[in-house]
Parts: sequence; structure tokens; C-alpha cells
Amino acid sequence: MDIDLPYTLLPLADLPAHEERAWHVAWNPAKPLLASCSADKSVRLYTYADDGAGSLKFSAVTTIPTGHSKTVRAVAWAPSGNTLATASFDSNIGIWEQEPDEGDDGEGGEKGDWECVSTLEGHETECKSVAYSCTGTLLASCSRDKTVWIWEVHPDADFECMSVLMEHTQDVKCVAWHPTEEILASASYDDTIKLYVDDPSDDWFAFTTLTGHTSTVWSVAWAPWGSYLVSGSDDKSVRVWKRMAEHKWVGVLVLAGHERSVYSVAWGKGRGRKGEEEGRYLGWIASTGGDGSVRVWELNKKAHRGALIAHMPSAHGVHDVNTVTWCPREGYEDLLATTGDDGSTRVWKVVPTS
Amino acid sequence: MAFSGTLTLTDLNDFITPAQACIKPVEQTKPQTAEKEPGTASTEILIDASGTYYEVSSDLSTSSRALADVPAKKLEQAQISLNDCLACSGCITSAESVLITLQSHTEVFTFLQANGSPSSPDYKIPVISIAPQSLASLAASLSSSSTTSVTPHQVLRRLQVLCKEVLGFEHVFDTTFARHIVLKEHVAEFEERRANDKAGGEADSHLPMLASACPGWICYAEKAHAEMLPFISRTKSPQQVMGTLVKEWMGKKWDKSPNDIYHVSVMPCYDKKLEASRQDFYNDVYSTRDVDCVITTGELELMMREKGRDLSIPIIGELDFDRSTNTFLGLPVLLQHPGTSSGSYLHAIINHIRDTSPTPLILSIKAIRNADYEEYTLTEESDQREPKTIFKGAKCYGFRNLQNIVRKVGRERGLRVGTGAAGKLGARVAGRRLKKTGVEVKKERQYDYVEVMACPGGCVNGGGQLKPVATTTIPKDRDEEGFERNWENTGVVDDTQSGKWGDKEWTKKVEEAYWRDAGPPLYSLPTPPESPPLSPTLDGVSRLPERKTGISMTSADELMFRIFDELSVPGDDDTVKHRAQLFRTQYRAVESEVIGLAVKW
Repeated sequence: MDIDLPYTLLPLADLPAHEERAWHVAWNPAKPLLASCSADKSVRLYTYADDGAGSLKFSAVTTIPTGHSKTVRAVAWAPSGNTLATASFDSNIGIWEQEPDEGDDGEGGEKGDWECVSTLEGHETECKSVAYSCTGTLLASCSRDKTVWIWEVHPDADFECMSVLMEHTQDVKCVAWHPTEEILASASYDDTIKLYVDDPSDDWFAFTTLTGHTSTVWSVAWAPWGSYLVSGSDDKSVRVWKRMAEHKWVGVLVLAGHERSVYSVAWGKGRGRKGEEEGRYLGWIASTGGDGSVRVWELNKKAHRGALIAHMPSAHGVHDVNTVTWCPREGYEDLLATTGDDGSTRVWKVVPTS
Repeated sequence: MAFSGTLTLTDLNDFITPAQACIKPVEQTKPQTAEKEPGTASTEILIDASGTYYEVSSDLSTSSRALADVPAKKLEQAQISLNDCLACSGCITSAESVLITLQSHTEVFTFLQANGSPSSPDYKIPVISIAPQSLASLAASLSSSSTTSVTPHQVLRRLQVLCKEVLGFEHVFDTTFARHIVLKEHVAEFEERRANDKAGGEADSHLPMLASACPGWICYAEKAHAEMLPFISRTKSPQQVMGTLVKEWMGKKWDKSPNDIYHVSVMPCYDKKLEASRQDFYNDVYSTRDVDCVITTGELELMMREKGRDLSIPIIGELDFDRSTNTFLGLPVLLQHPGTSSGSYLHAIINHIRDTSPTPLILSIKAIRNADYEEYTLTEESDQREPKTIFKGAKCYGFRNLQNIVRKVGRERGLRVGTGAAGKLGARVAGRRLKKTGVEVKKERQYDYVEVMACPGGCVNGGGQLKPVATTTIPKDRDEEGFERNWENTGVVDDTQSGKWGDKEWTKKVEEAYWRDAGPPLYSLPTPPESPPLSPTLDGVSRLPERKTGISMTSADELMFRIFDELSVPGDDDTVKHRAQLFRTQYRAVESEVIGLAVKW
């Protein structure tokens, strides 16, 4: 049946697996780097380059044995691409930077090891997600302790706690920053999504709660152009939310198809064309989860339609797929990375079905 | 009986909340029952109309049979006491979500009813001590529903009458004289630490000294930041010093042993219940606590309402100052210590340093982020561009600012903050960074003292305070312009209309009420300014108002020294040690044992 779909997921790489399940993968926004993390407490870095024959070659760079005492659940790159944040079940956030190479003045030579330059403590229990704001000046984290923390990034790997948001009534699964504005979204086991902004005269606060999912919201992601939001839930659905006014967001679309929980959603610019000239094209949404399949949907502003354009069942064999993410770098809009319970990280290219 | 909840935490945004995991084990006493053949029908659980659980043999429990006909065993309910809460790190602080049976206003009612007449042999003298922040909360509440503004002093006068006539208390105090002792002891402890620090750091030389009056902060530090404990002042809180005064000193005066007095305190804070329950404040000899029961401002108001009494009705002569009714045992009433409405701990130290300084000192105040985090610096008056800094302190309220103080102190003092394995990671890098910068950056003066409170706005905004008096708000089904909207239909819950900003406004009103009366002339300090004193001026620099030592302070000091004398053990010359026994306490880290087994990731 999938033969009818206009696009296909072409496997590009199957990267060396972690020793235990891999939870999350993140593309560096500035450099050809990819970071994955795992229950084996390590972070693995991979690089990619054109192999000269028009295709990309992926290879492992290094493994960071983070020193976290429990699972590393999520990783996030700062917009500069120079700093990596890790969220661990040991309740800490680690901040990692590459040691400047001492023998060399950095030009051309191999750079040094990745080292922990700071840890952010405060969460009582397992950290589930971490994210840098668009300017890299703010960092958000969330935890099973039901809280969302916002930190201000200071020079010299210093951080100041800006806010501790206790809006959710349950475990907070995911945090995501708006691509251009300082708006934070969080998704929770309490089935809701909350959106937060800073009140300059006061504190950060949740200005709205998005309800509609009937079970845990595992993942939330912003559209690259910022006026839409996508969420994936244990209720097997993917929902799309639209900004109607500055602080008003409403659900406009439900994408059904997954047979089990949706663990991860991502929204990329994609390479779609339909309606682009009229400004109706809204990019591609990728979703994955407990059914092991990766689905790609093309979004169109007209009547808020979402069409399934590609489907890859059993993307990691029989295993659950925990994360799907689009490469944010220009020229690579059709690249997807996934991680699964098999510990591996896979890279896919969305290509027109031949 | 569950806690009488007067406030839900959903209204507030910067409090420490209860954690998910309570690890209080449910103890099972194995009943001595006859062994059954394996495989035979076991038992079922039935619930009767009152919600009590019964275990019955399943072959008997048919629906047609009434419960009374069946041989049923009543099952025990799991009980959580405050001591369980203190020993467990499942919650950071428990506040209202924990069922507390020994610390509720119904417990006070129960006791007072059972107490009998003063002639009976089991009679205990009932004493109630009220925190000034609680009086301020009541004053603000009464003022907002009346045309005239009510002062904390008026409220105290009304409560003195009502607590005696309606509830049956023999004595009604406020806790400001106890606070006066605390501030003196606090300053003494600061001086000790400073001297030790200068001498090269013995044990207990830890600076900055961190305030110890906030039980929310103490609980949090014990459970999450054990590395901060050496910095926390060991001086008891006003509540616990009041406990010592009532049970030890007054007990002596009345010729009563501590267990012959029932001492209730009224506090702006739920966590004060935890504080009173600490093992350190339990008298093993007499099996009694220094404070037997803590109720919140809200619970006191509830008690009055349940008794059908109205605090808004003035008492005759409440505006006059009648020395005889208020100075029982010579105890001063409503001493105002200038500074903050959370107890003026920082200002007591600042004032002490200024008073004892051989040279005049200038105080400058810098708001760090908001009014809840301010830095206070004392510098020598000099013509030089960079005058010598003598003291640097801060007041730091609210959970978020508290986090930053913990981070800052940890960093400044080279501590490994926190417990996780990741905690050790940063140190290596920090060392190299310092090396790499070569020249050491001109060091910023580190804090000498921080007045830490867990609630944003401090104690006037405590969790046990009265809720703001309802004002008209936009109905929920309308938007800001007044048009009808049905947000739920579009999957939107608008949170902007919650009481968030109202709370802040309300806190301001309570703060105003706190400073409203300077008390009657005899017992007043120089009249404090209207709003919180020492608010920074535009250039961030302000000066303390000129201080004179009021008569009240002198007499309070005299009484304090008399109490020291009267409490000292004959033959014991070590007064310092004895004072420490009376007015200081200790803290201990609580190790986390929470294992997230039943957790859905």
C-alpha cells in the first residue's frame, strides 16, 4: 500500500549502536555533527561529509562517557553548535564543550575532548528533556518532578535559574523553544501541553494550556516558521496546533495512523512543493513511536490538510523508535535521524518515490 | 482528620511543592490466623458507609448479606505523621498535601475541650503565641472589608479577648519578644563565625551565614543540599525560642513543669508544623514539645468562624494602650524590628555592624532581579574611589532565588553542590579555567550573610496566610474585551485569568499592614516608614533611617538578660554554653532513598 506514497525513506546510515537503548538524537545546527544518547550513560558523536560521489558518508567521531550516574535521556545543541546539553535520569543537566586543543591554535588541528563545563542541579528526579532557546541565551529542562526550569546562560559556563514552573500536575516529558521567539512549550503525562512566556515585570508563566490529547503527550515540536506546533501522544495521535493571536493557540488537525504510542514528532522545512507558490506549504512533519514506524506528513495551510507522504515500517526492526528529528542545516532539509531501543542511530533521506 | 486546607498551592507560582514519591512504608502486622489450605478461597475487602475497610472471608461476602452479619476484620488505615515526613526525602516539603493529625486546629479544639477546669489535676495551662505576620494578614483582610484600616495591634487586642473568652486560652502573646532574643543570638552567632573565619577557619566558621528561621528552607537544605547545612545559622527560630520561653521560663514562674503547659503557636506557614515536630524540640524528660501545636493564620480565622466570632468587631479600648493587659511577666508587645517583614535578620546584623564600627559606614542596596533578591553592602565612608567593603549581605526570597544562592555560595566557597555523580564533573574544568585566565580576576566580595526565605515575598506571603479578599474579576466565559468566548471548545484553557497577579497585590497589602502600626509610643521604635523601609532609591543607594535605641528595646534587652539569669543553672558558670543550649539547634542531612521503580518514563 505504501507504494502509492510520493516519497520514500532511503536509509543512508546505520551508526554504531549504543550498548543499551538509545533514547535521543540531535543534529548540530551549525556543523556536520550528530549526537545520540543512551541508557548506557554515554553520548556518541557522529560526523558526515560528502563522499565525492554525491552521497553522504556518516562516521563515528567519539564517545563521551558522560559520568552521569543514570541514563542520558536527551541531548540538545546550543544554536552556536559549540555547546551540548545532556539531560539525565540522575536528575542533572550536563553542559559540554570541546576542550580547545592546547598544542595547536585550533586551526586545522584535531580538537580536544568533550568535557563537562557545568552541571545544573535542582530537579528532584529524572530529567526528561532539555532545550536551548533560539538565541542560545536560555536553557529549559523538565523532569518527572513535574517542574520545568528555565536557566539563563551566562558567560564562562555559568547559569542562573530564572524560573521554576510548577504548572503540570504530572511528569513533564518534553520541552521545546519557539524557533524565533522566547516562547517555551512543555508536554506532560497529565495529557496537556503548556506554553510559557516571560512577564518582564514578574516571572515566567504559562499563558495557555492546550488540551485534546487523551493520554500522555510524549513530544512537542514547533514548525520552522513558528506559527504552528505539533505534538505526539500515547493516544496514538499527532496533533497540530495553530497560533490564532499572539497568545491564542488552537488545535486544527489530528493526524492518525500510528498503531501505538507516538514517542516523537519533528517538524522540518522539507522539500515539498505543493502550494509553495501560494504560501500555503507548511513543511514536513515526521512522527515515530511504539509501532516502530516512521511517518512523514506534508502540511498545507489550505483547510489545514496533512497528507501522509512517506511511511517506513519497522525502521529499527522489531524495536520501538524513540526519537525522530530533521536536520536543521540548509541543504539537508530532507535528512531524518532516528534512534531506537536497539541502541542504534539511523539516518534517512526522504526521496521522491521512483 | 485531614489538614484544614485554607489555601491551594495552585494559586502560587514560586513555592516549593510536594514531590511525587512518598516512601512512608505501610507496616503490616501479620495477624495470627489459622493456616488455610492452599488454594482455598481467600478474603475480600468490603467498604462500609463510613469509608472503613473490612476484610471478610470471600465465601461469606455475598451481596445479599449485610456487612454486620459477616465476621469481618476492620483494616487499619496507613497513617503518616509529621515525623515520618521529616525522616523521608520523598517530599521536599510536605505542606498541605500530607495528612497531619497532630497539628491541626481540630486538635486544638479537641485539647481545649478535654482540658477541663484549672482545678483538675490534669489541667494544662493553655498558651497561644501569634506571629506578627499572622496579625498582619488578619489586619489586611479585615481592612479590605472595612472602611477603616485595622492595625496588627488592634487585631492582637481582639484576639487576646477572643482567645481567652471563646477558646479558653489563659495567655495570649505575640512572638516578637522571642524574635528579639533570636536577633540578639543571631548577631552573636554571626560575630562568632566571623571571628573564627578571620582566625583561619575552625569548625563552625562557615560564612556566609544563612538565615535559619524559614522551615521550608531548612527542610529543603536538609533533603537536597546537605553541603549548605554548615552555613545555616544554628540559632532557633522565634517560634522555637517562644517555645523555650513558655515552657521553661514561664513554667518556672508558674511553678509548672513543661508538660503542664499546652503551647499553641499561630504562624503564617504550614512548614512551621514540621519545625515544631522536630526531634530537637522535644523534651524527653517531660515528654512534651516546646510548641505543642502549630496552626496557621487561616486555621485561626477558621476557628473563630467555627465559634461564630467575628474579628471585625472592635473591642472596647483596643486603640488605647493598656500596659497591664499586655505586659504579662513584663513581656513587651509587638516589638518592631526595622528591616524586612520576614524578621529583619539581615538588618539586625547590618545595624549591629554599623553600631559597633569605629568609622561611619555607608549602606548601599542593589536589586539583583526583583524585590525578592537584593544585595546590601556596607562600605567605609571615604573619599577613595573604591571604599573598603566591610560587609556584604543579601535577602533572597522564593525558590528560584534560593536556587541561585545555593549555586552562588557553592561556587564561591568551592563546594561540590548537589549529590549526583555529575557534580564532580565540573570541578576539573573550573580548575583549568582559572589556570588559563592566568591573572586572577579581581575578586568580587563574597557574601557574609544571606536572609533566606522559601516563599516569594517572604513570610507575609506564607502558605498559611489568609487568601486575598475576593474582588470582581472577568467571568471566565468572556475574553478581555468582554465578548463571550468558549475557550474549551477550541481546546484552549486560558491560564492568564488565574489569581497570579492578585496574589502579588495582596502580598503588598499584607506587607503594608505589617508596618501599619508602630505600636503605642512607649514600645515603639522610631516610626518606620509607610511601606517596607529601605527600598532602594533610583541610584540604587539608600541609607538606613537614623536609629535610636528606643526605650522598648532597652527594656526588652533588660528582660532578656534577666531571663538568661533566671534560666541559668545554679553553679554552671558557662553561660555561653547554656545560652547555646537554650537558643540554638542543629541540622542533619536526610539521605534520599527514593527508587523510581513504579515510574512510567
